[in-house]
Amino acid sequence: MDFVEINKRVEVITRFASRGDPAYLVMPAKMKYKGEEIIFTELGLRHPTTKGRRMIHVFDMSDGTNDYRLEFDAEMLTWTLITIMGSQQ
Amino acid sequence: MKAQRAQNIKWGHLPISKEEPQIMHIDLNSAFAMTEQQARPLLRGRPVGMANRLSKNCCIIAASYEAKSKGVRVGMGLVEARKLAPDLVLLETDPPKYLYVHQKLAQIMKSYSPNVKMKSIDEGLIDFHGTRNVINPRSLSEIALEIKARLKAELGNWIKVNIGIAPNRFLAKTAAGLNKPDGLDTIRYSNLQQIYSELKLTDLSGIARNYEARLNSARIFTPLDFLNTSADVLRHQVFHSVAAEEWYQRLRGYEVDDEPTNLGQVGRQFALDKSTHEEQELLPRFHYLCETTGKKLRYNGMDARSIVVWMGFQSGGGWKIRRTWNTSFYTDKEIYYRALRLFRQRPSHMKLTIMAIT
Repeated sequence: MDFVEINKRVEVITRFASRGDPAYLVMPAKMKYKGEEIIFTELGLRHPTTKGRRMIHVFDMSDGTNDYRLEFDAEMLTWTLITIMGSQQ
Repeated sequence: MKAQRAQNIKWGHLPISKEEPQIMHIDLNSAFAMTEQQARPLLRGRPVGMANRLSKNCCIIAASYEAKSKGVRVGMGLVEARKLAPDLVLLETDPPKYLYVHQKLAQIMKSYSPNVKMKSIDEGLIDFHGTRNVINPRSLSEIALEIKARLKAELGNWIKVNIGIAPNRFLAKTAAGLNKPDGLDTIRYSNLQQIYSELKLTDLSGIARNYEARLNSARIFTPLDFLNTSADVLRHQVFHSVAAEEWYQRLRGYEVDDEPTNLGQVGRQFALDKSTHEEQELLPRFHYLCETTGKKLRYNGMDARSIVVWMGFQSGGGWKIRRTWNTSFYTDKEIYYRALRLFRQRPSHMKLTIMAIT
C-alpha cells in the first residue's frame, strides 16, 4: 500500500445538500490535481480538528482507486490535499 | 436491602440476582483501526496496525480484526507483527479522528439516559434505571439495534460495536465481549450459568494471569467454580481483602462497580526511533515526555508529588527509579528538572529503546 504526502492546495467542487444526514450535508464531489479531474465516489469520514485557532474540516475521500485526505480550512477557505493512499498516484 | 445482602454473603446464601438487565455496555470494535478503515475504504478487509509513531521499534497499540486473526496483538513490536502479517499496513494514530467518533458515540448514548458513563475513548455504559417507563419503554435489545444503526448512519457502514446488556456493569462488559465483532448479547438470571460454563477465568474482566493463578491455587479453575465458591473461601484463600465479597456479588449480578474512581497517576512513554545512549539525542525526547505528561496532569486538574522514570534497554531488561517529594508540583519546568535528576542516575552506557515517565 503506497502512501504519499502531498500537502498542496487543490481546486475542489463541493456539493451542499439541502437535507439528509448532517454527516453528509457537505461533501467534496470533484478535485483537480496535476491537471486531472478526480471524481469522488465515497466519503469515508469527515471530522473536525484545529490548527492553532483555525477550524479545519478533514474529509477522507475515495474515488474507488485511491484514498485521499483533504482538509478544508474554514478560516482561509482553502482546500489542501494532504495525502494519497493507494496504488495509482 | 444492603444489610440483608451482607447477611446473605456472610452465610453464603446470596442467590443469583433476578433483576431485569438495565445496564448496557457499548464497546467499539478495535476502535482506532476500525475508524481508519471507515475513513479509508482501501484498508477495509486488510490487516491494519496502529502505532503512536512510525519507527522500527514502535509497538502496535491497536490492530484490526484482520490483523488480530493473523496473531497480531496489542503491545507487540513491529518486527514481530510483520513476521506474523507481512502485509500489515502500519499507520500513525490520528487522535482528533478517534475523538470525533468517541463524541458521536457519547452523543448517541446520552440521548437514551442521563446516566451515561464513558469508560474510555472506545467504550461506555448506559444505566437505564429509572428511564424505562418514561423514556425507553422498548426492550433494551431493540434500543441496542437502534444504536448500532444510528452509528452506521452517522459515521459509516464499517463502524461496528459490541453491545452487552446485563443487570450489573461487570456482566454487561462480559456480555459485550461474547461475540466480537458486532455482537449483541444479554446476560440474565436464566442464562448466567450457561454463559459462565463457556468461558475461561481470564475471559472475565479483571481476572488476568496473576489472579488466575491465585484462583487455581484455591482449586477454582472455571468461572462456574468461581461462582460456586463461598465468600469465605474467596476472602481467606484468594483475595485476602474486601475484593472477595465484591467478586462474590459481582459474579451473581449485583452492582458493586458504580462507585466513582479517582485518577491516581498520569504518564507517557516514548519509543525511540533509534536506540542510543547519547544524552544530546535523548534529552529533547525526554523533555517532550515531561511536557506532555505535565499537560495531561493539568488537564485532569491534578498536581504531583512523585515521579517514576522508567526505561527499556536494547540489550533487554529495564531500569526504574522513583522519588517522592514533600511538596506538590505541576509546571512543566518543575516536572522536567525533577525528572532530569532521576534520569541522570540511569546506567548511562546502556542504549535505550523506550523511556517513560509517570
